Order: sequence, then structure tokens, then C-alpha cells
Amino acid sequence: MGQIKQPKNLSPRIQWLRDYYFKGFDREWNNEDRPFTTGTPWDSNYNEMTYYVVPETYTFFSTFTAGYRYGAKKIEPPKDFFKQSIAERRAWFVKKAIVENVPQEILPGDLLCGANFNLSASLCLDKKEAADKDKVILNKKNGLRKQTFEFHDKGYGNCGPTSGHLQPGYEIPVKYGFKHVNDDLKARYAKLSEDEKKGSKGAQLRAMISASEMPRDLAAKYSDLCFKKAENEADETRKAELIQMGENLKIVPWLPAQNFWQAVQSLWFTHMLVMTDESYPGPGVSFGRVDQYLYPYYKKSLEEGMSPEFMKEVLKCMWIHCNTAYDAMIRVGMDQGITAGYGQLLMLSGCGKNGEDLTNDLTYLFLDVIDEMSPMLEPKPNVRLHRNTPEKLLDIVCSMIAESQGAPFLLNFDERSMAGLLHEAKFAGIQKLINEDNVWDYGSVGCLENTMIGNDRSQTVDVNLNFLKAVELTLGNGKDIVPYTDKLWGKVYKSGQDGPETGDPRMFNTFTEFYSAFKTQTKYIIKRIVDLYNVGDALRTKYLPTPYLSCLVKGCADSGKDVTQGGAEIKFVTVEGVTFASTVDSLLAVKYLIYDKKVCTVDRLIQALKENWEGSENEKLRAIAKNKAPKYGRDDEEADALAQDFMKFWANEVPKYHTTTGHQYRGGMLSWNYWVGDGYVLFASPDGRRRGQFLSNAICPSNGADINGPTSNINSVGTALGGKDESGKYVNWLPNGASHTITLSPSLIRDDEHKAKLKNLLRGCVENGGTALQINILDVATLKDAQKNPEDYRHLLVRVTGYNAYFTAIGRELQNEIIERESHQQF
Amino acid sequence: MEALILDIQRMSTEDGPGLRTTVFFKGCNLACGWCHNPESISFKPDLNWYMNKCINCDSCKDICPNGVLIKDESGVHFKDRSKCLTCGKCVDECPGAGIELKGKKISVEKLKNELLKDRAYFGHDGGVTLSGGEVMMQPQAATELAKLLKADGVSVAIDTAGCYAWSLLESILPYADIFLYDLKIFDADAHKKHTRVDNAHILDNYKRLIATGARVWVRTPLIAGATDGEDNIKAIAEFLRDNGLPERWELCTFNNLCKDKYTRLDLDWEYKAHEKTKKSYAEKLKETAQKYVPCAVYSGVTTE
Repeated sequence: MGQIKQPKNLSPRIQWLRDYYFKGFDREWNNEDRPFTTGTPWDSNYNEMTYYVVPETYTFFSTFTAGYRYGAKKIEPPKDFFKQSIAERRAWFVKKAIVENVPQEILPGDLLCGANFNLSASLCLDKKEAADKDKVILNKKNGLRKQTFEFHDKGYGNCGPTSGHLQPGYEIPVKYGFKHVNDDLKARYAKLSEDEKKGSKGAQLRAMISASEMPRDLAAKYSDLCFKKAENEADETRKAELIQMGENLKIVPWLPAQNFWQAVQSLWFTHMLVMTDESYPGPGVSFGRVDQYLYPYYKKSLEEGMSPEFMKEVLKCMWIHCNTAYDAMIRVGMDQGITAGYGQLLMLSGCGKNGEDLTNDLTYLFLDVIDEMSPMLEPKPNVRLHRNTPEKLLDIVCSMIAESQGAPFLLNFDERSMAGLLHEAKFAGIQKLINEDNVWDYGSVGCLENTMIGNDRSQTVDVNLNFLKAVELTLGNGKDIVPYTDKLWGKVYKSGQDGPETGDPRMFNTFTEFYSAFKTQTKYIIKRIVDLYNVGDALRTKYLPTPYLSCLVKGCADSGKDVTQGGAEIKFVTVEGVTFASTVDSLLAVKYLIYDKKVCTVDRLIQALKENWEGSENEKLRAIAKNKAPKYGRDDEEADALAQDFMKFWANEVPKYHTTTGHQYRGGMLSWNYWVGDGYVLFASPDGRRRGQFLSNAICPSNGADINGPTSNINSVGTALGGKDESGKYVNWLPNGASHTITLSPSLIRDDEHKAKLKNLLRGCVENGGTALQINILDVATLKDAQKNPEDYRHLLVRVTGYNAYFTAIGRELQNEIIERESHQQF
Repeated sequence: MEALILDIQRMSTEDGPGLRTTVFFKGCNLACGWCHNPESISFKPDLNWYMNKCINCDSCKDICPNGVLIKDESGVHFKDRSKCLTCGKCVDECPGAGIELKGKKISVEKLKNELLKDRAYFGHDGGVTLSGGEVMMQPQAATELAKLLKADGVSVAIDTAGCYAWSLLESILPYADIFLYDLKIFDADAHKKHTRVDNAHILDNYKRLIATGARVWVRTPLIAGATDGEDNIKAIAEFLRDNGLPERWELCTFNNLCKDKYTRLDLDWEYKAHEKTKKSYAEKLKETAQKYVPCAVYSGVTTE
């Protein structure tokens, strides 16, 4: 392993800001959540449903609810406040809080305004609304909270309406200003009939009109602050900067940006207020194709004499601001699972309508900033690659991968991704909104979830389903086969007839019968998670509007509906399939052990699973399951065919469902950290995994299963998504896309000649791979872990000399030697 | 037509230009003492033991029809390997991945399809490498395979030691895009001593090959006491200068990282305790080589 990646070329200004940020809780300033309340006895400023997808937090809900409420500052609502719609109340309250009750601050040297944006604003409900909402959630018998906990405790997964995860139409305020948005809303309102004005549409538009003025009012405050600070500034250069910052905010975000600095200021202001409005920091609120919509400003400023170095300086300030979203969790530490990546994603490069490449000079400027600032978590860059990606871009991408432990960006593959979005357009009948002529203008949110930009909310992390549960229900004829425990009280749940009776598996004569029963159980777990999610989603629809965000999502103004009420033009909910490879491998193991080779009976297998594969007889069976049964992820035709069949089946099952607001379900694969945590929950599985061992991650093969190396792994992933049809067109049944990570040895990219080989790998990925790829360059720690847990690293390819070898297939001493070598990198 | 192959290595970065899929043919007519692929030498399948993957279930011992396996405190091993029928029953019976039968026959057509699975990654300079063992010891299968690959538009590299009749090399020439050609020792007696074969064919074939204008990368392993003498490097260098320079000449430094491979075959290895090449020495040899052959480089791990 080479040097740990370090930031570089930072000016004293940026170095100071970066260092200051990393002081964390020791800073005198931070952006932690500021709680505000209307002061009513029933008020709440914490919405636990946004955390239903974070099982680690389940035990803290009561504490959080009380804590946020207890520390909250009161903002006196105006008279008749509770006679307004919830959206109007919320628009007023959030604006009042952020503009008048949160201090405006500017850090030394900072070129962008807009700090202190994390709020826990009152939900602004009246007594009855609050009681009605709480009744659904807290009802002891079958409240949503109880159901959510049980759902997770029993290994099904988790779901809940959470925030963010979209690409708002940021280009509009940058290009036209919020005044344009505000004027448009007012004009729409004026056209309403008196009845409509009195109704929900009128209320929503009034809320949005009010919300669209929030950036103007806050900008005025910051502008004044800049001028005030400038007066007291001794340093002439800084004084001039502060004056210009004040001038910038006299224009943006209310009016169109006139240069690059203003455009970035406008973008940051607009973006941070989304997090304010949702009272939830950062998750997947993504910037879209920044190198495209900021390019005109880059070009203009360049012509006007602004140096690219200064533009980078402005962007680097934005980088720091993005990271302060994490301050919301500053008191629980920077490394807690829940702060591991908010995913304010930005897109770079990509193809145009005719497959032409859209990389420009600003793309390269962004890459410079990424390279110079990393390692830093936010924002999360995503580089789009496609068949016509230029060599220059690939050279830079490969160099940056080579110099980092993990690539400092995600890679997205256009052709496969676009095939998925066209697929959803077809099954949802929205070809007017997504079609061959505009699909190239897509982007990703959060981690890698593909959506359209500015008019699309696809709720991409809200529904996380463990497929492996369906294998258990198949083996148990609709019942659990092992006991599950209530995590809060330690009580064992009763094992009832949860799933349908698909038949005693001992009576199945063929794998086809088993597989067919499994599909029925899969339908059941899909229906179950949809039913559960729809309860929470309906509550959000009724009680938790985000009128400011709605100003930035096309469709909301047209329909007079909030984005939480199905206002967006394109609306889906994404079922993120978890445990895909664990499930496919388990099915393959059942097929091999019971039907193909008749190694054991169903009873014998169930017994081994109940005993967590422990004991020497179980151990032998487990070894066969792990080593002899086929596995997904090694370009094996039989295994990958099953993976593909199951993928097609479940991905076509979920669109049968909708939420109450007409969001249609669609498929994706993103396992966040569930594959680790739920590994302790779910039963020992037929693939040889013990309870307590990790599950497979997203669309990746199970740990250690991809024994034929990275290319076969990548081929399997592409095949699972649908491969290509007879005419060579890409098929992709997961519109959302699927997370895929591979690990490479640093020795494989040790010099320019080898970096060029990595380019070939990436070009191959465009053809054969999935929708996205994250590359890790393994480090010594990984190698040491591989020594300890060889079965998890059977894919790890290292260069020995003149040939590559699988690290775990070589002896201990040699492993040590290679570790030593990687530590010193003597090539 | 069938080929006896040892293994297929996908995404190989060390067997020629670009990303390649390498197929290792089994069987070699040389017997270099330092061989890094001892499992590739025999023309018959060999049993390989991976003791770190054994779960001590005794399945292999119990199934062995010839009773050649015994178990003691060090685990299961051969009582007498020469009596092994290589029937593979123990491999089938092993629930883990503790035993592998290296060497299988596969039709050339099927092999070609397997090798093309990574075609998307080959790019303009990558492709398939036919390696060994000595691939040209299966000349018909090798030529047929190269022909099929070439017809499919795939670049073919031949990794060979060159010790056979020119006609064999000549017949594969139209289908090969690059040769990875080993020149180990220039002195005929020393060559015979360390590899058990004469190098007359090797040198002659090189001359003829380079004269055809073929693209050639020469490789010379640096083995202490065998190939790494300065006089040997100088002699090879002069030979290359006088007969036609390759595109690249790689001096491959020595390490003993393959010693486990010998253990798996129950073989002793005279180089198991040998030190890695010293960096300063590799540098020195490179300088010597470059006096005659400017494209000479060294590669691999070194020690200070």
C-alpha cells in the first residue's frame, strides 16, 4: 500500500477551513441541530419515521423525542396560525426560525455564505392532528413503531418515509432566481378560482409562495453581515472579498446569477435550505449535473478574467459547507454508523442524446477540486462513464483511483443506467417524461440511485427488503424456522403462520417446486413491506409537508400538491433489495444439496440451519454448501441464470404496488450497512453463512464467492441485471441501479502501463457491468483481515511476481511477505 | 481437438500487453530448477493439496480406492504419491476445497468460448495469452486455438521457451500477435545443466522469429547461480543486438513465493530458501543489458 491519500494544493484559507472542520466538537462554532417549538403542550419537533430506515436508532426514539422537545426554543406562532393549512404553518415557521432565530455566521476566509442550517423545526401540528398522528405511530397494540420494530427484529428488513434522496431543480434558481419561482407561483395562484383558493391547492400554493421567499430573506441577512464584517476588516483583500460576498447576496439566489461565484453561492444557499426545510441533514439531497448547468457561468467568468484557481477556491468552500451537514450528529461523534455518508451527490460528465460525450473544462476543474480536497466525505462525486468517454477523462479517473485507498468517486455507467430508467418509463406509462430523447440527462442521488433531475422523487432508501427471509419462509412453510427476539425487551416472538402455506418442503420432488414456493413467499414479503411502508407514507402525506422543497420539484406547482403528497411529475418508491447474493446462493445450495446431488434431506438442512451450522457433521455439510454448490458472481452460467431469473421476477413484482399518493414501487439494490447488522438477525442460511456473519452487499457476490476475479464478478452483475437482448441492447430491470463494489490490489495499478490496464477494465464495465461501480484499492489492514478470514477473501488477487495469485490460496509466510511488500511497495 | 490445460487466469495484467485472459497448457519439455509453476511441468494431471483449507473430515482418506492416503498428526497426506491413480475420487468427496486435480482436457472450441468471456475488457491491446507449461508441446491444439481466436478478431500472445522445431512456431506464426519469449541462459552447457535441455533450438528459433518481423518481448529470469551472472546477461544482450532487438526485454527478479506450490505436490525445491534479488544488483544488470539493448528493464520484487 502506498501513502495514505492526502489533500494537496490547498491555499492557507482552505487549509484553515478544512483543519477547522476536522476539529469536530472542539470547534467554537458548529452546525448542530437547533430545535424550535410552537410551544404548545402537544408539539413535537422530531419525526421518528425518518429514522425507521436506521435500525441502530430504534432504541433511542423516546429519548430523542423528549430531548429535542426539551431543548427547543419557542417561536410564538401568529394569531390564527392553526387555522392555516399545515404546509402554510410549516413554511412560516421554518422561515421564521432560519431567518430570525438562527444566528448568521461567516467563518474566517470563507467565500460562501450559508451556515447553521440544521434545524429541528416544530411539526406545527394542532392538538388533534398531533394526537391522530401519534395514535397511528404509538398505538401499543399495532402502532407503526411496534410493527416497524417487529418487522426488523424478524429479519424482513426495514422501511419508513425518510427525507432527501432527490435532485431538486437547482438549475432554475441559479439561472432564473427565486423571484422567477415566486412570480410563477403567484401567477398560478391568481388564476385559481375562489373555491380553489379556499381549498388544498390554494393553501399549498400560498405555502410555496411563502417558502420561496425564505432564501431572499435569509440572503438579505447574510448580505448585511458581510458588509458589517467588511467595515471592521483590517485586511484589504479580505475586506474586498466580504464586500463582494455582500454584493453577491444582493443578487442571488433571488435573481439570476451573473458569474461563477454567484452561481455557486446561489446553489449552496438553495441546497442548504432543502435540508433546513426537511429538518433532516443531507441525506441524498443531490446536486445533479453540476458540470453542465454551471458551465455557462464558468465560461463567462473565465472570459471576464476570473481565474480557474479562484473558482476552485469557491468550490472548495462549498466542499467544507457540505460537510458541516454532519454537525447535526456532532454530539454522538463523527464515526457513528448514522453519520457514515449523507450522500450529497454531484454528477460529472456523461453522454448526451446521441451518445456524444459531454465532458467539459469544468468537469476537469471539479475533478481537480475532488483530488485536492479528498479524503473528505462530502459531497459525493459520481463520474458518468459511457462508450464515448474520452481517454483523457479515463486517464484522470484511473490516476485518481490509483492514488487513493478507495476511489474518491463512484462510477456510473450510462448505457446500463439509462436502460433501467427507460424500463421504468415503460412499466409506469410515463414515456412522455422519460424517453430516448431525454434519458441521457439523468443523475444519481445519495449513493448511486438513478433518477431524473428536477421533477423526480423516487424515495430511494425508504424500503429495504431482505430477500433471504423468503428462503426461510419457504423452508418453514410460511413460518420462521428459528426464534427471533424483540431487541428492546429480549422477548422471543411467537412463530406464527406469517407467510402463506406454500407446502411442506419435504414433499417437494424437484427444485422447481421449491423455487416456485420461494417465489410465492417473495411476493408475500414484498406485499408485507409495501403495506407497512404505505402506513407511514400516508402519515407523511397528511402531516409532514416540505413546501420549500416543493418549489424546486417540477409538478408540485402544476398539481398544487406538496412533494410529500405526490406532487412530483415522476414519482416512485424504490424497494432496495438486500441480501441478493446470499439469497441466490442459498437457492443454489438447496438445489445442489437436496435435488441435484442429494447430499442431504430438507430436514437435515433445516436442522443444520437451526444449529447454526455448528458441530462436525454440520461443518461438513456447510463446507459442501460453501465450496461445492455453485455461486453467483463467478460468471457461471447456471448460477447467473438463476440470479437473472430471480432478479426479473422480483423487479417485475414490485411495480404492481402504489402508495396512496400514486408513487409506484420500483426496484433497486443498495444495502447501506444492513448487510452487516441484519447478518446478526437473520437465520443461518443454506449458502453456508452462519447467523452473525455478514450478508451479501447490494448486488455484489457474497464475500469470497467471486473466485474467478474481478472481470467475472462484473460480468455476473451485468447478467443479473438482464445482460443484453438478442439485438445487443442493454437490459436493466432495476431503474434505481445497484451498488457494486470491487477491490483491487495496488500492485495492479502500480505504474502508468498498469493504470492503462485499469482503463480497459472500466471500458469493459461499460459493456458488461452493472449501473455503478465503487473501486477499493486494498490496504494492509485488508490483507491482514484476509489472513484471518480467508473464506471471505477468496477473490483477492495479488501480484506475486510475473503472475497474479489469489492471496488466500498461498501460504501464511508468503502472505506475510506480501503484506510486508504492500507496506513498502518496492516495485 | 482437445487441449490439456492447467488453469485459466482472467484479468491477467502480467502476461503481455493490456488486460488478458491467460490459459496455461499443462506439460513442459524444460525442467528449470527454479520453475515457478511446478504443477505445469508434468503432462499428466497432478493432485494438489491445500492444507489450509482442510477441515479434517477424512473423506478423502476413506474414499481412496488405492489406499494411498494416511492420516497422522500433521493431517492427511500421501503414503506414496506414485501409487495415486489420479482418479479424482478424493477431489469429488472433499467437502471443502482442500484438494484439487490440476490438469483437465477440454475441447479447443469450448476453451475458446471460455477465453472470450472477458472479451469486453481486452480493449485494443489486450487479448488471450497461451502459456504453460510449454504451450507448443501441444502444437496442434495451440495452433487451432490461436486460429479460432484470431478469426474472432482477438489478439493472441504466445508465451514460450522456444525449445522445439521451427516448423511448430512457424505454423502458429500467422495467428499470433505477440510472442513472450524466454531466453534464460546463453551458454549451451549451462543451459543444459539448469534446464535439462540444449538451447540450440531456442536461439535459432529466436533468430528466425525476429527475422519474420514478429512482435517479441523477451524475458529472462534472474536466478542466482544460474542465469543472473553478468556474463550471461551480457551474452544474451549481444545475441539480441546481433540478431534483432525485441520490443522489450524484461529481467525478472527472483523470489521464492511459489514454494507452497512445491509443498502441495509433495516436492522439495532447491530454491526455497533463496533470497530475493538485490535491488542494486538488478539495477546493475539492467545497466549492462541496456548497453546493448536499450529497451531492457527489470521487473518484480527486490530487496535493498
